[in-house]
Amino acid sequence: MARIRIEPGNGLQSAESTKSLRDTRESLALTDGEVNSFGSDSELNGYTSERQTDKYGFIGGAQQYSEQSAEDIPPEVLRQREAKWLDMLNNWDKWMAKRHKKMKLRCQKGIPPSLRGRAWLYLSGGKVKREQHKGKFEELDSQAGDPKWVDVIERDLHRQFPFHEMFVARGGHGQQDLYRVLKAYTLHRPEEGYCQAQAPIAAVLLMHMPAEDAFWGLVQICEKYLPGYYSAGLEAIQLDGEILFALLKRVSPLAHRHLKKHKMDPILYMTEWFMCAFSRTLPWASVLRVWDMFLCEGVKIIFRVGLVLLKCMLGSQDKLKMCQGQYETMELLKTIDTRYMLEAFLVREIIELPLSERDIEKEHLAQLRHWKETRGELHCKSPPRMHGAKAIMAAEPPSRQDLRQNPTIIVESSLATNKNGEGQDEDKARKKTKEEKKGKKKNSSPTPVAANPEPSDASTEPSPPLKDTPLQGSNQSLISTEHDTYL
Amino acid sequence: MGSDEAYNFVFKVVLIGESGVGKSNLLSRFTKNEFNHDSRTTIGVEFSTRTIQLKGLIIKAQIWDTAGLERYRAITSAYYRGAVGALLVYDITKHLTYESVERWLKELYDHADPHIVVMLVGNKTDLGSERSVPTEEAKDFAEKNGLLFLETSALESTNVETAFHNVLGEIHRKVSSKEVTRGSISAVSLASPIPRAAGDPEEKKPCCKNL
Repeated sequence: MARIRIEPGNGLQSAESTKSLRDTRESLALTDGEVNSFGSDSELNGYTSERQTDKYGFIGGAQQYSEQSAEDIPPEVLRQREAKWLDMLNNWDKWMAKRHKKMKLRCQKGIPPSLRGRAWLYLSGGKVKREQHKGKFEELDSQAGDPKWVDVIERDLHRQFPFHEMFVARGGHGQQDLYRVLKAYTLHRPEEGYCQAQAPIAAVLLMHMPAEDAFWGLVQICEKYLPGYYSAGLEAIQLDGEILFALLKRVSPLAHRHLKKHKMDPILYMTEWFMCAFSRTLPWASVLRVWDMFLCEGVKIIFRVGLVLLKCMLGSQDKLKMCQGQYETMELLKTIDTRYMLEAFLVREIIELPLSERDIEKEHLAQLRHWKETRGELHCKSPPRMHGAKAIMAAEPPSRQDLRQNPTIIVESSLATNKNGEGQDEDKARKKTKEEKKGKKKNSSPTPVAANPEPSDASTEPSPPLKDTPLQGSNQSLISTEHDTYL
Repeated sequence: MGSDEAYNFVFKVVLIGESGVGKSNLLSRFTKNEFNHDSRTTIGVEFSTRTIQLKGLIIKAQIWDTAGLERYRAITSAYYRGAVGALLVYDITKHLTYESVERWLKELYDHADPHIVVMLVGNKTDLGSERSVPTEEAKDFAEKNGLLFLETSALESTNVETAFHNVLGEIHRKVSSKEVTRGSISAVSLASPIPRAAGDPEEKKPCCKNL
């Protein structure tokens, strides 16, 4: 395999030595006379089609994809869900304000893949941020970046999900976008800089949305959901480790006692879990389900996953017999039994675990007190965390304009529209998804009139939004009640 | 990991050094004979073991690997606990990674056992043409500071075995010469029948076990 490197040759740092990614990319592509073919990223680096890529983009079975355990939602159900989600996205503020419970339930069931990226952007508040700061990302993107951070970021680009087709190619689109997003963050928050665990977070976002959206998603996660996690001193993650351990006592006294006995500092097992929001631990299907819930309900989901895994792996006598010491325990927690991580099992456990925001906040206060007694004041005082989409929105209420979906291409559909113009919306919404993926900038001209009049009044029963309108190309009418019992 | 495999000692060794110098690949090369250009960034702690034979004794090396980035130093005290050896790694092609060695040493002595055996490791000798840290300079520094020294290539597997063997050998030497008192290196003490770290499984008699 050609020895391909991103960073410049010598270690001497100077302003020029931080070459732009473009420069190094050129030299990469021409190594060994390879043709520069950016259309097929995964063919660089020698990954040919003989290595199977799974439906999430992972090559060769990475990230624990398993055909047998894959949960297959029937297409009809998926389409129903898509329609429901489109309705929610079109009436986001109303759903958040009045139908949040239902929204939460739908997140728990799993967001339809086709809308996941968009839903995540709305849930996290990234959409609103993007609208309120138009041009900001472009501005940051065009700047060179602090060489100190650029150097570290460049070293990490080929080390995130290297077996995912999006990131496998050195200097390919995925790595470029990762660079752009992470660099932009260090410019956006120069006092924070870059923390390595931000890279997998950004990578997961990039798998679902273009760079600008991923940037705002990252901002929200770093500042609202997990404030302080990536800051110097890593105090927030240490504190959460203590909180996790304390909460474990109630969930699994046996596991708690074992960890206590072997003096297992929570940092030894929960750091990667929490800092990467389990994206490096769970099979991919489960990562997506966890993130759907996490972005809706906040950090308590992350805590619940941690508690479930600890309980499953250390919660019984015969399991504990297998780990006699600290090292063996650590090993066990590094190799979590797959059956505990599978979608169906894990999601059910998460939903059923009785752990609320209040529990977390209460324990947070207790651990903070303890910290001050034993270690003094926190050096890095992070803002309080927002426990999910609703809290984020309530803290910074957006305007209706902020939530509007503004596709750049409108296709006049011959589809009959109901009084809310829903048929048109749906069509536009699909086009928008495609356009978003191309990363086109929205133009500021008002959307054509055939499009979006006032969104439907969500005080009426939103459940059968398109009851009167057949889906494009389908003769099915939508069932009016939530028959969707797929978990 | 065989909990029923026989060994005389367990030595915990930590890999430290700047991000990207090759700690994770040194670990995988030594414990699994693997190297990966695109190994994931270490977040939190990774670890692996390998049992070797040294001077007729069976030594289980427990190697810990951590994130190198500055801010992760805030959470390293748990990693250092009980470590009897350390490989302080820099990248011979990146002078900056060598310049931070003094800071890493200070970090080490702040958190780890004062008798910890330290080896300075200049990694990536396969990139000799891009060298920016002269061997002699690093060797001098190591000597002046009482550190072992070797240059390695995890990619080509050069000197990796030697590096670990030397560190483990030096640890054993220190322990068996009773240069250290019983309590200060927690994992080992020659005085007890078969030394073991806290929580280790039942003691085993040494035997000529095929490794």
